[in-house]
Amino acid sequence: MSATTEETPLATRIELRRFVGRELLLWLWFESEIFEGTLWTKEHGSFGMWLEGRLVLDEARESTVIKGSAPGNHREAKEALLRGKTPNRAGLHLAWDGGDHALTLRGDTLAFAGLTPPGKPLAEEEAPVDLGDRPPPRKKRKADDVDESDLERESFYERMHHARDIEGLFGALYRDFLTLRLGPGWDKDVLPAIATWVRGEDVDAGAYKKARDRALGRRG
Amino acid sequence: MALLRGSLTYARFYVSGAPPDDFRERYMRSIRARIMRPLEPDDEDLERSGWTQVGDPFGLELGYDDVFYGENIVLSVRTDRWQIPGPVLKRQLKEAEQAYLQKKGRERLSRKEKAELKLLVAKKLRRQTSPRTRAVDLAWSLEDGVVRFFSHADKPAAVMTELFVKTFGVKLVPESPYTLAERIGLDKAQARAWRDLEPTMLGDGDAERGEAAEEEEES
Repeated sequence: MSATTEETPLATRIELRRFVGRELLLWLWFESEIFEGTLWTKEHGSFGMWLEGRLVLDEARESTVIKGSAPGNHREAKEALLRGKTPNRAGLHLAWDGGDHALTLRGDTLAFAGLTPPGKPLAEEEAPVDLGDRPPPRKKRKADDVDESDLERESFYERMHHARDIEGLFGALYRDFLTLRLGPGWDKDVLPAIATWVRGEDVDAGAYKKARDRALGRRG
Repeated sequence: MALLRGSLTYARFYVSGAPPDDFRERYMRSIRARIMRPLEPDDEDLERSGWTQVGDPFGLELGYDDVFYGENIVLSVRTDRWQIPGPVLKRQLKEAEQAYLQKKGRERLSRKEKAELKLLVAKKLRRQTSPRTRAVDLAWSLEDGVVRFFSHADKPAAVMTELFVKTFGVKLVPESPYTLAERIGLDKAQARAWRDLEPTMLGDGDAERGEAAEEEEES
């Protein structure tokens, strides 16, 4: 039973709705496959998005990790869904705003990992700084460092702007997902299409798109 | 230095409440009061955290320019921790106990003596090494009320949250599907569905449920 009320403590409400983030990943995976890697939102127009890199599905303590250029296409991935596992994190390729970006989206927290910085080639996920036992030499501030500091600030603003843009895109996708998930079309149109897709059968992408657009147009 | 270089791996936290008018002075005083004090071998603490400069975890003098980047506060949470390997401590303690007993001409140690010897040995070993240091960056956008914390791990997030709340006197709520839905805003019908939402179960059961809904609509 996951019904929540205003009296339910915030921490509990957060925990009880973690699964919605996993369902967002499932929906992105589903749409990116049936729409052949082209998604869209009202604000952002159309853009490329598909699963790439690592897909992790789990249920309780059992997890399935699939790696590759198209992890969602592996038979094992959909078999895991049929066994009750849900996507916990998914590597995504995003072709948007004139650039290619890689990132990993976590379902439970909607946190990003390994998001390629603006203007940089796609890179692997990085660990936080661990300085080990020995401190590095103390950085000395000199007059010459002024330029370095300016560059550092410029880079910071650019990176934060990029992060905000990507968050905005996923925020819009999540809003569209919630409109579908919380509307009457979920049980009628979306869930049957996802179930058909999970079973490996053909989905009528045109009919799904029509129903989806109708539901999203109804919003607001 | 995840904030300034490399790929971006972070978790978001939302700050409730606006900063006070004199936030620069007030926050700076508070940050300086909680700047990292490096662990010393004779300290009681086994672990300690505090603020340091982004890009220089050993930079313990923070100026306005180090902290305020436009409408952002940037800081690094440094945590020092003593990590003496258990077997090393055990071996050294055994040697110290034997030497002590021999010196005193006794066969057994009291519980208090054992504890005191253990502390002495631990401090001696700490003097021969350095604490493990870890630094995680954060950027607080004062405009959006969002803190981007460059780690996904639970423990550093808990340490940061505690330090942040003590320093700035505001609450931090971690981003999640629930909080994002709240911020997006749900209409009445959506809020009702949200309240009673159950996880989707894939497989034949749900396909049947979808077909049943379709039949119901047709009839």
